This record gives sequence, C-alpha cells and structure tokens, in this order.
Amino acid sequence: MSTVEIVAAQSAPIALEAPAPRRPRLVDTWWRHVVGVFACLVALFPIWFVASAAFNRDNSISGTSYLPTHFTLHNFGNLLHNTSKDSSGTTIDAPFLRWILNSIGIAIVTAIATVIISALAAYAFSRFRFRGRRFGMLALLLVQMFPQLLLVVAIYLIVLNVGRILPVVQLNSLFTVMLVYLGGAMGVNTWLMKGFLDSIPKELDESARVDGASAGQIFWGVVLPLALPVLAVIALWSFIATFNEFVIASAILNTTSHFTLPLGMYGFISNQYGQRWGVFAAGSLLAAVPAALLFMFLQRFIVSGLSQGAVKG
Amino acid sequence: MKSRTRLIALLVVVVAGMFAAFAGSVHAAKSAGATLTIWTDQNRKDAVTTVANAWAAKNPGVTVNVVAIQNFTDQRDKLGTVDVSAAPDIITAAHDWTGQLAANGLVEPIYLSAAVKKQFPAYTLNAFSYGTAIKKLYGVPTQIENIGLVVNTKLVKVPTTFAQLESEALAYKKAHHAAVGIAVQQGSGGDAYHMYPFFSGLGGYVFGVNSAGNLDPSNIGVASKTLLAHASLVDKWNKEGLINSAVDGSTAQSLFLKKQAAFWITGPWNSQLLEQSGLKFKVIQVPKIIDNAVPFLGVQGFMVTKWAGVHGVDALAQDFVANYATTPSAQVSLALADGRYPANTTAGKQVTDPVLAEFGKAGVGGVPMPNIPQMNSVWGGLGAAWVKATKGSGATKAATAFKSAAHAIAEAIG
Amino acid sequence: MSATTAPIPSNDGGRASWLPRLISAFSGTTGLAVKLALLSAGNGLAVWAIVTLLAKHQWIAVAVLVAATALIDLLYFGGARTVPAKFLIPGVVLLLGFQVVPIVYTVAVSFTNYSTGHVIGKQDAIKQIEITTLQPPENGKAYTMAVAHDASGRLVLLLQDQLSGKTFVGTQKGLTPAAPGLIHASGGVIESAKGYTILHGLALFDLDKTLQTYVVPVGKAGIRPQSTTTAVELQPTLRYDAKRGVFVRLADGAVFRDNRKGSFVHGQEELEPGWKTGVGFANFSSIIHDPLVRSPFISVFIWTFGFAGGTVLLSFALGLFLAITLNKKGMRFQRTYRSILIIPWAVPGFLSLLVWGGLLNDKFGVVNRIFHISIPWLFDANWAKVSCILVSAWLTTPYFFVVSLGALQAIPEELTEAARVDGGGPFQIFRRVTLPLLLVTTAPLLIASFAFNFNNFGNIYFLTNGGPFTGNSSIAGATDILISYTYKLAIAGGKGQNYGLASAITIIIFFIIAGISAISFSRTKVLEEVV
Repeated sequence: MSTVEIVAAQSAPIALEAPAPRRPRLVDTWWRHVVGVFACLVALFPIWFVASAAFNRDNSISGTSYLPTHFTLHNFGNLLHNTSKDSSGTTIDAPFLRWILNSIGIAIVTAIATVIISALAAYAFSRFRFRGRRFGMLALLLVQMFPQLLLVVAIYLIVLNVGRILPVVQLNSLFTVMLVYLGGAMGVNTWLMKGFLDSIPKELDESARVDGASAGQIFWGVVLPLALPVLAVIALWSFIATFNEFVIASAILNTTSHFTLPLGMYGFISNQYGQRWGVFAAGSLLAAVPAALLFMFLQRFIVSGLSQGAVKG
Repeated sequence: MKSRTRLIALLVVVVAGMFAAFAGSVHAAKSAGATLTIWTDQNRKDAVTTVANAWAAKNPGVTVNVVAIQNFTDQRDKLGTVDVSAAPDIITAAHDWTGQLAANGLVEPIYLSAAVKKQFPAYTLNAFSYGTAIKKLYGVPTQIENIGLVVNTKLVKVPTTFAQLESEALAYKKAHHAAVGIAVQQGSGGDAYHMYPFFSGLGGYVFGVNSAGNLDPSNIGVASKTLLAHASLVDKWNKEGLINSAVDGSTAQSLFLKKQAAFWITGPWNSQLLEQSGLKFKVIQVPKIIDNAVPFLGVQGFMVTKWAGVHGVDALAQDFVANYATTPSAQVSLALADGRYPANTTAGKQVTDPVLAEFGKAGVGGVPMPNIPQMNSVWGGLGAAWVKATKGSGATKAATAFKSAAHAIAEAIG
Repeated sequence: MSATTAPIPSNDGGRASWLPRLISAFSGTTGLAVKLALLSAGNGLAVWAIVTLLAKHQWIAVAVLVAATALIDLLYFGGARTVPAKFLIPGVVLLLGFQVVPIVYTVAVSFTNYSTGHVIGKQDAIKQIEITTLQPPENGKAYTMAVAHDASGRLVLLLQDQLSGKTFVGTQKGLTPAAPGLIHASGGVIESAKGYTILHGLALFDLDKTLQTYVVPVGKAGIRPQSTTTAVELQPTLRYDAKRGVFVRLADGAVFRDNRKGSFVHGQEELEPGWKTGVGFANFSSIIHDPLVRSPFISVFIWTFGFAGGTVLLSFALGLFLAITLNKKGMRFQRTYRSILIIPWAVPGFLSLLVWGGLLNDKFGVVNRIFHISIPWLFDANWAKVSCILVSAWLTTPYFFVVSLGALQAIPEELTEAARVDGGGPFQIFRRVTLPLLLVTTAPLLIASFAFNFNNFGNIYFLTNGGPFTGNSSIAGATDILISYTYKLAIAGGKGQNYGLASAITIIIFFIIAGISAISFSRTKVLEEVV
C-alpha cells in the first residue's frame, strides 16, 4: 500500500479501539461553566442591542433601552421585500437576498482558494530549502503591514488598466473582487499553516517519496489531510474576513444588484441624515448567521477530538 | 513520457488558441446617438430618472443613463479618479462641494438667463458659486434643507422668545426628571451643524465676507467679539442642563419620541418619522438670542462635469441642467421625491406638505454652509468647542473653548 | 526539539473523514487534470492579453507578458528542480498584483502633489482655466440660439437677444443683425428662418465638439454657445501664451508662470485649477518641517503603540484563557459556548463599534446605568483610550480563541501527561510546556495582529473618531492613532485633501511598524526557530 492509502485508511474510524470519553464530574468543571457563561454574556451584550434595534420601529441604535419601544417585524419584512424606507419616507432598492447570495458566493470561493494558496505556499516554505526562503516569509508579513490608505484608488486603477487588456478582470464584477481578496491570501495564514505543517513529521514525506509519489501527490495525499485543524481555522477566518469586507468591494462594485452584503447595508446608513438604523440592525443580525453556521460546521475540524498519537514511518 | 508531454503541449496550445480567437472577436460596442450619463444617489434615482426621461422625450435622439451611486458623497470623491469611459456628465451635488470640485477643475461653469435667476433666492445661487478671482456659478440648485426646532405642542406652548424657550424647557425637564431641556445632538465627536443656531444666535459666524463679497478664510468668527461677550450664556445653559453634549443623534431622537424632552432640533430627514409618531408638533426657527438664531442652509442641485465636453454632450448637459431642471415642475418633483423643499420660489409655492413648509420657514435668514475647501477644518474644531462647553459638570468655560477652537482652526487653515 | 506530531483527524463515527479523503483525491489523476486545465487557462488568458496589447501597439507590455508566461510554463514543466516555485507561483502572482502594486502606487503618489486643486493633468488644467476665466463683459448679452446651416451649408448661429428681442445671425466672422422677419421666434424659441435649415436631434448633437470652440466675435468679446438653445457673450480675461507656457492677464499684463509645483502663479495669486505633478521629496520634508504635522506625532505614536500592544496582549490572553477553559474533554455545551463566542467576530465590525459607542455614552449608555457608575468612557481622554482597547479586544478575542483552539490541538497529550506524571501542577505545566509550544505557532500571528491594529483605522474611527479633542493639537484627538491622524490631516484636512502628503506619512508609518516587527522577530527568535 502506498503512503497515501495508509494515511487515508488511518483517517477512517477506529473509534472501537479508543475508549469513550468519560464525562468529567461537575465539581471539576463548574468554574469552567461560569467562565463560559460570563464570556457569552459579554460577547452577546452589544448584539442584544442590535437585536433590540432590529425589532424596533424607532429607527435608532441608541444603546439606551433593553427592549424595543415599538416592537415590529417591519424591518425584516422590508429586507425580504428588497426595499427600504427611511425616516423621511423615501424608498430605495435593497435586494437584500441577492446581496447575501453574492457575499456567500465569493466568501466560499475565496475561503477555499485562500486555503489552497496559503497551503501551497506554506508547504513550500516548510518542506523545501531554497534561496530567498527566509526573505520570502518576512516579505509576506511586511507587505501586509503597509497601511492601505490609498488602497481604494490603487485597486480601482489596477482593475481599470488590467481590464483594458484582459476583460476577465472588470469593474463591477464579483469575480474581480474575489481576485483582489486572493491577493492577500498569502500572508499571516502562510505563517500559521507553516507552523502547523512543521509539526507533521517529514518521515511521512520520505516514505511516500520512496514509494514513488511526486511532490504534488505528497502534498495532496499525505500532508494536507493531516492539517485539517489549521485548514479549518484559515477557512473560517477567510470566510468571515471576506464576508465582512467592505473597502475593496466599494472600490470595484457599483451596481446595486452586484453589491456584497456589507456594501449594500452600508448604503442604509451612509447618508449623513436619514439613516435607516432599524433595517441595518436587522440586516446585521441576518448577516451574522452564515458565519455562525460555518463555524458550527468547521468546529469539529478545528477541535479534532482525540489525538491518537504519532504516526511514524 | 514523451508522448504525454506532447499531449500536454498540444492541449495547452489548443486552449490558448481558443482564447486568442475570443480576443479577436471582442469588440467595443459603439452606441449610436448621444448618451447623457447622470450620477445620483439611491434616494434620488427614481425622481431623477423621471425628470431626465421627460426632458429626453423633448430631445429625440438622446438617451439618458442614470447611475445610482451608493453613497451621496461618493460622487464627489470618485469624480477625481473615475475613468473617462465611466465618467458622468452630470452629478447631483451638495453645494458645499463647489469649492473643492471647482478648484480641482472637475466642473463647468453654468450661465443662467436673467429670467431664470429671478426665480431662485440669491443665496441658493451664491451657494453654488465659487472663484478666487472671478466668481462663477457651477451648479443649479434644486432643493434646500435646514434644521428647525421641533416643539411638542401638546406638552408645551410654542415659544416666541428665547427666554420663553429656556423657561419652558427647564420647567419640563424638572417636572419629568429628564436629562436635558432641549434635545440637540452632539455626541463625543461634536456636531457643529446642529449647534449652529445657538452659535449664530450668540453672534458667531464661520467665515467673514470680504469687500468683493467672497468668503474670507482669514476672517474666522468662531471667537467673534459678540460671541465672547455673551459666552457666559453657554455656561449658564450648561449649568442648568438646558443642553448637554452627551446627547447624540439616536439619543436626541428617542428623548423626543419618548416625551422625555419637549424640544428637538432636527431636520426634514425625520419628517416622516415625526408624522408617524403620532405626536402633535410644530417646527419653528430657534428664537432670537442676541442675534437671530439662524440655521445652516444646505442646498443641493445639479452640476455639469468636465467630461460632458469630452463625451461630446456638453450642450445637452447644459440644456438639461440650466434650462430644464430649473423649471418649477422639475424642481417640485425632484425636491419632493427626496422629502425636501424646492429651491425655485415658484415651485415652493406649490408645496402643500405642512411639515416641509414649516421647515422652510425655519430657514429664513439662514446661512449657507461655506463651500470653500477650508471649511473642512472648521467642523471638528467648532464641534469640539461646543462639546467641551456643554459637557455638564467639568465643562470648560465657553469663552475659553471657543477661543482655543478659533486658534486651532486658524492654524489648520494656515 | 523532538518532532511533535499532528493528530490524525477525528474518528467520531467517520463523519469527519470524508474531508481528508476528498483532499487526498487531488493527489491522483483528478489533480493532474485540474493542474493542466488551470495552466491552459492561464496561458489562454495570457495569449488573449497579448493579442489585445499587440493591437494597441504596447510593445513593452507584450514583451514582459510573453517573458512572464514563458517563465511560468517552464517552471511548471521543469520537473524536480523547480518544485518550490510550482507551489508558490499562484499566491505570488496574486500578491504582486493586488498587494504589491498598490504599495508601489502609494510610493509613486508620495512623490507628487496629488491633492485638492492638483488632480487633473496640465493640458486639462490649461483648458479649464481658459473656460473658467471667461467673464461676461459689461452689458454682456445673453441670447436664445438655434444652430443652423445657411444656404451654402456653413454653420451659423441664429440668435435672439433675450432682453431686447432683436435677432442676429452669427458666424465665426462676426455678428450681423438679421433682417426683420427673417428669423421667426416665439416663446423664447427660434422656430424657423428663411434660407436657413435649423438643426435638430442627432444632426445637432454630433456637432457638440465643434460648438464647444465656436465663437462669434463681437468686439473684444465673443458669443459662445452654452446649451442647445442658449448662447452667452463672454470675454476672456486671460490669454495663454503657448510659446512661453504662461498665462497673461489681459487687464494689466500680469504674467502667471508655472511654479513647478503644479500651478500658474503670479506673486501670491494662484490660478485654479492646478495640475498633478511630481514634487520630489517635498511631502517628506513638510512632515519634518511643518509644525502642524510634526508636533502631535510623538504622542500619537506612543498611543498607537500602546493601543496595538494592549489590544493584542489582552485579546490573546483572554482568547487563550477561554480556549483552555472551555477545552475540557467531554465537557457539556462546549460547542454552544464556542459558537456564541465567535459571534462578535461574525457581526460587521463597524456596526459593533457604533453600538458600543452608544452603550458607553456616559449619561445615557447602558453600561453606566447597569452598574450605577458614571465613568466618562468616551468623553475623558484617558478613559477613551481604555475604552478603545477594551472594545478592540472584544472584537479580536474570538480570533485568538479560535486560533488557540486549533493550536492547542497540536500539542500532543503525551507531553502534558508526562509533565503531570513528573509531578507538575496545572500552572507549571501551562507555563513550561503548553505556552512555549503555543507561542511557536502563534508568535508570528501576534506580531501580525499587532501590525494590523497599529493600522486599524476602523476601530478608532467608528468608536471615537479619534476624539475627544484635548486642545493639544488642532487635528489629533486623544485617541487618534497614526493612521487616523494621517487621514484627518490629509484626507479630511484643512485645504481639502492631500493624497501626496498622506502617502508620504503612510510610508513613514510603514517603516516604523516594519522596524518594530523586525525587532520583535529578532527578540522572539521566531525566525531562527521556525525557519
């Protein structure tokens, strides 16, 4: 059997061999629960007020009252009807569901692509010794430290000029937005993944190479499947960052139906006066749902349960 | 292996060839006829489209392309970097952008006939005028807005003097154990715009006017003699809790709507909110303090960009903006769609919404926000002065606050 | 250090093992097919671009693109020698395109005077100056106009004085009064004229560019078309002398010269608009010399450092603490706790910041009301700084929580077991075993997070907008960090925006943060160990 198949086989359930986890006694864990509950309260504290504003007709986020003064589902209704009325009565187009789909779409693709790109790079930095390796890793971090004050203007000009020769890259295109996000795919993620990959023994690579596997086959077949926890962390981080990203999207997208969710929602409150806080709060609550769902799905990969010890040779 | 390499190479070449064929077949489409591109924001999109289409119907051969920019101020910010192929010929603009856009060379002068000029209050045309040497009109006003004092007529009587306003507000505050007498928004960042009636009522002004009638950025009235002489009034208001800078926009709104304050200073953007609240109210100008407590006036309208000439639609753009958008019917539909008062006085007579009319009256004698680029330095400093002076306990003396603000602003303008 | 190992993915009933299998599927033929497809597509796009560039005669760009494509193809088919490159190329290409190029752009702008009044090119500026310095002469007239062709097809303007109603025919040679009855106008519109064909519709619109430069000379002034139906008498007040490259004012002969800084000036007078041009190191020297920029720099820098450091340390400590606390095997509700704890991360940041701003309002905010305290969270300079760090930590802790969760998994049980067997207490185990191993993985993340918060414009802007103003500086507030200070100075600043100055300050900020990072790297020996 090749190394790849060995690893795959060992990924299969061997639950029967391991003992089931015992539930620890309450005495040991009561303080953990206290900490957990307290932390959850602190985490949810402002969200409660966002919810209060979302269900309120009054159109404000004063953070001053616990319960809505005029309870209404109007804001959510507005969102689902793709329109929004402000406090002076004007109605605007607000294809909320479209925005969510756009955001989820590019967030998923960006997350997967980011994971792949940074994994590729991290593997190279971890396994190979080549000239410029140390400099490369440093450079990745330094590039991301540059304050991007003029990012909006620069990205606009890049997309414009590249778009003139390569129509795949265009203004007002979600695909282009995604490409720009992938520019930042190599960065801190690569460092994180490299650290993790370093802890996967190189003996695995060796034995696979002896079996005749190429670098690519070792990467996909042996090393990457073992790196699931860090892959999941990076996927989650990338999804959330992309989903909530606003600056680059605002530089490139300009038709309402192409907007991502934060960009579309920003329009609710971007005017100096006549802001639509109620709808904005409602939208934000709904916006948190995809990320939370993704986290629940990825949790098990991040916290990969029992570790069964080293796989050697 | 060799055959596999050859297969790969073949595959790559074939795919590459397909793309090359694509490249050859992609043409840029040229549209026949003249196209006029108008930028506006989401709120105004429908109204502008209707008016523009009505004008286009009178000019067969013209297509109007109305683009909704998400954020109103993005129009000003994007105008400098937009590519000529996507650039607008006309934009909807706020008057205080005039100085910046004209100094950047991004907008064209507009010449109105004498008959049309008579239909607009002088200050609205002034608001869109700019020029260090020669003053030119760069925009056509369509709507005006200003804040006013909203009085809950069921809870208090409409005050006719400032002393009456003060005593009613404080009496209500005391009776209801409220936090402030008048709900006016500031917040930690300050809000010089909403505090302007108090500022002008005390004799303050932002920029003086020189002999040529132009704004003079070296003449800053943030610490004018009259203001300093009466600055102690601000300390008095702070001490008795008439106003407090902890109140921000949302708080001011909820104080009034929950009847914890009987007075609210806000603008027509909340008109529907007020109408739906079920409260009985009237909007008036803040009563005279030392001078008339006039608000800042905001004027919005259309501007013709320099790309209209590049695109070959300059005359058309000027026709729409100078000849059509100035007519009373266009003015009414544009202004009312946005919930504002039209700039054209003939159009103004057609406004029947009582709340809008009240806001309009509350703006009489108001001062247009200065449209020169130096104005940017004023907002922060002036707002901060008010925040410090009305902080409640531990507030700075108003005279000191305004003096240091004036100094800071002068330094920033240079 | 002995090899630590990564755990084999979860074996809870095989549910989670589909993902590793999916990933390893790429090591076979599927992967090869995908690789070929992507490579072909990449080459295809390159060819497409090359064809387009050839059509536009951009030879240099073609040469560069051909070389780059050839290089990439060689690397991918180069076998074992170029393996690292194969892994790095996709990421590097995107990095160069969308991260490095904006940096290069910023550097380029910092050497220009790109700011309000200096946005367009020189030729455009000259044209705009000529247009905007036209002035109606005394008793200048305004006309209703119709554009027409005369009998011989020449372009003329049929004009009616709006005040007097007199009619004229105007050509580029001059103005002649029209014979009575020649031009028929009513209601302010010229409807017809004998012997002339009035142009309408597309015929008229296509002449727009011609009309822009059409002038009917009248004495020193000229009648120029404005809209499709009006014309105005205007007089130039400046004349552009193309040979000398200067503007001359006609009234007094004053000469406005190019001051090499993007404007035409005469003494103190400056013509608007100016244009964008290179100014060398002028922006950098103004940072050093201008007291307005220089004086708050030190205090803002110290606070920025404190803010970034405080946020990172606090978030990491809390995140790690929560990860350890809630990671007890078999503890109930673990999943629930974890899902709730990442919600601050999932909600759009600026909304949370705005809500916190409301919560921390010292008179009306809920925080002060619940605990019956009256701390001026956002109004007092020092408390505002504390608030910034606390709220920022609230936003960042979930990230370190998740990272710690993942990193803790990399620390094998045997090590901690062995330490416990050796008689170590929980705190000792943590300090001697867990923490060092954890820091190996997370040290670069901490440094990166520090850098991110150093430049975290949003967290400051939406919570306090840099305020409260202390009066020490006219621009910087108590909680302004370098980047928001730059923004206020250069973008929302005194005479409009100054992108050139903003870029220059940005570069200086970058050197500062890069310097700090380099020092941290060498102190924590991260590079030595990890690399």
